[in-house]
Amino acid sequence: MWERTLQDLVRGLRANKNDEAKFIGKAVDEIRQEIKNDDMELKAGAVLKLTYLDMLGYDMSWASFHVVEVMSSPKFHLKCVGYLAATQSFDQETDVLMLTTNLLKKDLGSTPADISVTLDGLSHIVTTELARDLSPELIAMLNHSRPQIRKRAILALYKLVLKNPDTLQHARVRLEDKLEDPDPAVVAATVNIICELARQNPKEFLSLAPQLFHLLTTSSNNWMLIKIIKLFGSLSPHEPRLVKKLQPPITELISTTPAISLLYECVHTCIIGGMLQGPQGDSLARMCVSKLATFIQDPDQNLKYIALQAMAKIVPSHPHLVADYQDTILSSVNDQDISIRMRALELVSAMVDRDNLQSIVQQLLAHLVKDSSMMPTASQILLQNSASPTSSPPSPSQSPGYRLILSQRILAVGSQSTYENVANFEWYISVLVDLAHVANVDIGVEIRDQLVEIVGRVRGVRPFAVKLMSSLLADDTMLRNANEPGSCSEVLWAAAWICGEHCSALSDPQKLLPHLLQPEVDRLSPNIIATYIQAVLKVFGTWASELAQRWSEDDLPIVKEKVINIKNRLEDLSGSSDIETQERASNALQLFSFISADLNSHRSRRPSISAASSLSMFEETSITEDLDFPKSLYLIDPLFSSHELNPVANSAQASVPVPEGLDLDSWIVAPPPEPTGYKVVDQADDSKKKKGNKGKEKEKETKTSAGKKTKKHNGEAVVDGDLLVPVESDIESPEDIEKRKAERQAQLRDDPYYIVDDRSTKPLEEVESIPVVHLEDMPPIPHESRLPSLRTTSQSFSSQSFVIEKDGEMPEGAILLATPKLSTPASGSSRSATPARLTSFQPYEIADDAPRPQTPEAVTVLRTKKKGTAAKKKKTIS
Amino acid sequence: MIHAVLIFNTSGVARLTKFYTPLHQSAQSVVQKIFSLVSTRPAGLCNFLDAPELEQFLGFKGDADERWRVVYRSYATLYFVFVVDGAESELGILDLIQVFVESLDRSFENVCELDLVFHFDEVHHILAEVIQGGLVLETNVEEIDLAIQEAARARKESFASANPLSLGSVGLTPRGANMKTPLGWLTGKLTGAGAR
Repeated sequence: MWERTLQDLVRGLRANKNDEAKFIGKAVDEIRQEIKNDDMELKAGAVLKLTYLDMLGYDMSWASFHVVEVMSSPKFHLKCVGYLAATQSFDQETDVLMLTTNLLKKDLGSTPADISVTLDGLSHIVTTELARDLSPELIAMLNHSRPQIRKRAILALYKLVLKNPDTLQHARVRLEDKLEDPDPAVVAATVNIICELARQNPKEFLSLAPQLFHLLTTSSNNWMLIKIIKLFGSLSPHEPRLVKKLQPPITELISTTPAISLLYECVHTCIIGGMLQGPQGDSLARMCVSKLATFIQDPDQNLKYIALQAMAKIVPSHPHLVADYQDTILSSVNDQDISIRMRALELVSAMVDRDNLQSIVQQLLAHLVKDSSMMPTASQILLQNSASPTSSPPSPSQSPGYRLILSQRILAVGSQSTYENVANFEWYISVLVDLAHVANVDIGVEIRDQLVEIVGRVRGVRPFAVKLMSSLLADDTMLRNANEPGSCSEVLWAAAWICGEHCSALSDPQKLLPHLLQPEVDRLSPNIIATYIQAVLKVFGTWASELAQRWSEDDLPIVKEKVINIKNRLEDLSGSSDIETQERASNALQLFSFISADLNSHRSRRPSISAASSLSMFEETSITEDLDFPKSLYLIDPLFSSHELNPVANSAQASVPVPEGLDLDSWIVAPPPEPTGYKVVDQADDSKKKKGNKGKEKEKETKTSAGKKTKKHNGEAVVDGDLLVPVESDIESPEDIEKRKAERQAQLRDDPYYIVDDRSTKPLEEVESIPVVHLEDMPPIPHESRLPSLRTTSQSFSSQSFVIEKDGEMPEGAILLATPKLSTPASGSSRSATPARLTSFQPYEIADDAPRPQTPEAVTVLRTKKKGTAAKKKKTIS
Repeated sequence: MIHAVLIFNTSGVARLTKFYTPLHQSAQSVVQKIFSLVSTRPAGLCNFLDAPELEQFLGFKGDADERWRVVYRSYATLYFVFVVDGAESELGILDLIQVFVESLDRSFENVCELDLVFHFDEVHHILAEVIQGGLVLETNVEEIDLAIQEAARARKESFASANPLSLGSVGLTPRGANMKTPLGWLTGKLTGAGAR
């Protein structure tokens, strides 16, 4: 036999680099032979080779039984191989582990060398069963005469406790004794596992504080001191007296220790252990921050990293101390090391407050901007890729992952506690739009949500937002790149929605229509197209109803042209393969068909009584009987403007009172009888009874259902007899159908949401009967700019203050659980502010036209003073 | 605690993988991911790997203190990577990597990548004297070295008693094991699994 050893295998691998898979396949075949051999040496050799291949990613779970065989070898050098293979390849599910209990017991009672290997192996492969069975042996092992065994046993004990927490009860006393072990390494191991255990359950270990404190003041082993300090970091939040006790020795350590790792841990523990409160704590905090600041400026990048990490923890309690180093910290965001950038970013976002938000966000944004200007635009990349692959050195801020984190941070600091820190929402909305342009990562959805949320919550910013969004809609760069990854085209969803919803803020909303209707929109995703369609409806509706108020016959061709454009586009879209787009387009198309028909039949005239009655549903809306406009101009606006959209409180749905007598468990419409199709009713005596019963039940069922539904034929569906009968038959007589139709039409006539097309019967004569009046000398509609502008001229940034509706709207008559009095600004104002359908919109008024100040004025954030559930209600608008 | 110890070279080939906590990914993908992130970092940056891609990869931990950290050091052609959680001091782990490398250096006398390749079991035994089950066993290089020698001697004796013909080329005589003396070669072949 000429078996290969591990060395041969490695050599072979190195020689066969080109054909590794084949070589390994051959080797594994050999191993399969060798591993079955009775010769233990050979078997162990095969297992060792397998373990090596396991590291390279080749499965060895099939060999687990052979591994156990090798583990059980009495020869130490083979046993080592077996345990190594076990630690590398076994997991909790390995079934052969059940076989190892006795083996492990035996090995734990063997020579010290065996015990060491066994303890090491046990800490890897221990399962709940093994932990239960072996804990007596292991606890006995804590008092082994050799320190090497003792420390291994202590560490293995931790693994056993993890699997079987009861073990700790039995081992507790001995474990505590080990804190006074003569061997320092054993003490260190004990501190180590207590530190791990105390992280999960600190209160249990508070009683050990005196011993640990003694160790802290006497030991000089830095590794153990770090662990003790960390341990106190978990203990002291649960024992206030500890804080006072620890302050002097830790202050001492901070000022004297030369080991930076220990110094850092002391600072870290001071922060997380709550030792920085009180008058003494304040000076300690000052000391910690100054130490950390020197770390940040240190040329050693490692110190910089950990200092930033610790600073982030101290910021919440001592922001003023950290604020002194703001510039240093912000410059760290520029560091070439992405690790440091990540920490600095975290710290910076913790530092954000109302005063520095603008400068911080602008700086972060600058990172994205700077790089994106260096980076070629999407189309350029396309060109370059076709020409030659670019090979630029990677910079951290070009990594998409980093850009994503950076963008998310910007959004997170802005939206922190419902935009608490944002003083100027016009600025923030511009930031969001800029971010969408420069981010170059898929952050569009988040930006979209924030835009919609802000517009929903902050009334004052709506006019500005609409203006900005309409320019976004007009800017086709985003449309062009919509299919590139990272184009953030979802922002167009927000743009279309906001423009549609609040287009009454624009003086010429119809100018948006070409942008909403352009065929390039097809590149966007279907849900955005659907929003575009809705926006078209809203914009047209608003514009048309305004037009109607100052109607002149000259407008008619303009309106007609718009309607034709819209119809053409909608016809295209109604053939869309996306069901949502298709449905919305078809709906809208029907509305516009109606409008178009009305416009075509429109003749200027004095309103006749018959015309008014045929459009009775609009009667209340017609405010000026003098003006004679096509009535269908008022068709769409009420569909959208009858109720104002408001942010809805988180708990609104839950607070809707349940109407009396509402029983959700009862059938509204009884379920249809079992759709068995045809049913043979047998005449055989024994089954007849059964079937008969069933049949009666069915009959009852059908009767009830028929009673609740409209007329439904059930008749002799089930009869006793040898008949093939359809269980459900829906044959209706023509009279029934006629009758139902009539009923339905009668209903529809009263329903304001249906337009009854009476003209279908006698369209011509009605049109002819309309008297025609020509209005003359009406001024034409001005056509100055491509883009609609706001009704009132406003500066790019106004200095007004914004109100955030943090809590949202609550339903009327809500049962206010735990909030007896709810006086949100939303619920008060929104109800009363429901606009009358045809009143012209409230103009956006700006007090003065002063240019944008450097520091915006303070903004009052209205927070309702509620007890209890205030924290729950935030951040949802629906 | 320490969750994983990885050694790989500058081409991303794993030389040692030890997982103290089972991960939901295969060892290879972990090595490849960390390698791809570490290898792009020029020298002089900090020894803590903190990348946006990593958080998703290692499984996001909500608490910042529970976040897993990747601490690495590069020596010549090798990267030594420790994956640890918040219970370990970052700077302490850097020192521990140094201790581990020093122990390797003592055992192999000027350790180089090839020693790790051909004696991967030895490397595991040495690591077992520094870390057991993810917890630090010993930080004193002298103590570690003594323990390594003791264990190696035990293996050698056991091997010698099982293979009386061999020249005892097992354990911590790596250079000797690579030597191709005619007798060593013969006994290696004769005893099958010898010369390990």
